Amino acid sequence: MAQPVVQTIHRDPALFWWILLPITVVMILTGILRHYAMILLQNAPKKLALPQIRQQRALVRGINLRANANVLSPTSFQARKAYMVSAYQEGKFLADPESRGKPRPNPMSDPATMEGMMGMMKGNMAMMIPQTLIMGWINAFFSGFVIMKLPFPLTPQFKSMLQSGVGTRDLDVRWVSSLSWYFLTLFGLQPVYNFILGSNNSANQVTQQMAMANPGAGLMGPEQDPDKLFLNEAENLEVLEHRWILDGVEDRLVAKLTS
Amino acid sequence: MAQANLLSPPSQIPPPVALQLSQKAPPILAAPPTSSLPWPLSLLFTRETPESWAIHENLFLASIRTGDDASARQILDRLTARFGEDNERIVTMHGIYEEALAKDDKALERIFEAYEKILRDDPTNFGVRKRRVAVLKSLGRTADAITALTVLVENSPIDAEAWAELSELYAGVGAWGQAIFSMEEVLLIMPNSWSAHAQVATLHYLSSPTSLPALSLALRHFARSVELNEYYLRGYYGLKLVAEKLIPLLSDSSSSNAKRNTDDDDVPPPNLASVKKLDELATSKLAEIVRQYGSGKKGWTGFDEAEVIAARELLDRK
Repeated sequence: MAQPVVQTIHRDPALFWWILLPITVVMILTGILRHYAMILLQNAPKKLALPQIRQQRALVRGINLRANANVLSPTSFQARKAYMVSAYQEGKFLADPESRGKPRPNPMSDPATMEGMMGMMKGNMAMMIPQTLIMGWINAFFSGFVIMKLPFPLTPQFKSMLQSGVGTRDLDVRWVSSLSWYFLTLFGLQPVYNFILGSNNSANQVTQQMAMANPGAGLMGPEQDPDKLFLNEAENLEVLEHRWILDGVEDRLVAKLTS
Repeated sequence: MAQANLLSPPSQIPPPVALQLSQKAPPILAAPPTSSLPWPLSLLFTRETPESWAIHENLFLASIRTGDDASARQILDRLTARFGEDNERIVTMHGIYEEALAKDDKALERIFEAYEKILRDDPTNFGVRKRRVAVLKSLGRTADAITALTVLVENSPIDAEAWAELSELYAGVGAWGQAIFSMEEVLLIMPNSWSAHAQVATLHYLSSPTSLPALSLALRHFARSVELNEYYLRGYYGLKLVAEKLIPLLSDSSSSNAKRNTDDDDVPPPNLASVKKLDELATSKLAEIVRQYGSGKKGWTGFDEAEVIAARELLDRK
């Protein structure tokens, strides 16, 4: 029975000291640098003016009323509903009642939105620039090196992942090229950053991208018309079927305590 | 009782616990979380975590409460150095500190003026708004405090703390309708809070201790609070109190004018049999709590002593 031929490549031990280690260290250091750069670039969230806060919280109040209406007795619920619905329909809680019914201004002309986009842009830049630089650095100095051998076998599908920049067909998949090592560290260093910087760091771009996937999850994004939200909520309240949780509570309690 | 810690102190801190908390000050003050090393090193050698600042804040409140003003000052300085003078919470904490040191109404008036000034500059600082209400309250200007609070809840209607405070102030001046309304707002924000249910019930009971609709509402809210928390002493106490008042009323109305109440009111009164049953159940539960508390049995000692005494007194009344 023929053993599969084990490829042996004699590597210069200097490869480890002068390529593998520098790439790893540089990657970790850029992560840390990026974390602090992000902290410096972040500007404090903009404070809302009082009418805006009021508008937002008035909407939450309506939602609370709808969600928790069952704690109220029918009379007090009807009174509240009547008040909230009419206030919503009149636009009583709107931060700026004059612009009611007008179309929303172009978000590009709104300085607040622009600022938000600038912030996002800065974040992107802080990720892109170091990434490009390091990639270029590795390509320029270390391209084509096979720098390590994984201690476990892999299927050939991993070839493109582990041996980018080394164009050989017959090389065992276990050999890792320098460029691939760069990619591995790029995506795999999150636990290291967690250890160094704490779990809420902004060193890795993967988490950043995830956070960016749903930025406007807030209740009242800038692109939404608060008046529409209020009218919507008023409608929701109108059709709400009210059930009083205290109805028959005494019998429930007796049944519960005697059982 | 579970050991109180500074990171997540209980919502209600009795005096001995507050003292116990504030006595933890010296070790915390001796070990500042920020590093004293110069800048780049300080990043590496800091022991600062979000928790350490939460601990500082709670320690500050405990020290103020127990009269340890020197420690409070130190903590406040440390927090100010970390977060800056203009931070909303720091401004509020400065206010609390000044209030604690205020000797007389004159000093409080001055603090009030300062709050007014802060709010003119930044009307969104709700912490300072609340402190302003507190100062008005300690000055005895209840009407002004109520007005200030209504402005606050108008602008921030999802603030349970403010609604509860407003309810208490209204109850203090006997405006039961408004007090009940405010407390119901608290319920809307925290629908499963048994203490809020009990408070609504109490307000219903106090508003008209002899009318059938108010008493049945009170009974139901007390029943709900007990349903949510089976060991809620105050709920049982109220249940028993209200049930005892309701039984004669119900037996009267069932004989003479049973129809009338159900017609003009959308809340039918509870039936007599279940109220009697509830009365019995509450009595036995109260007796059990009083007995177990008296014997100091493990797991039964968490009740408030004053409440247990009141319960015993209620049981002995007959």
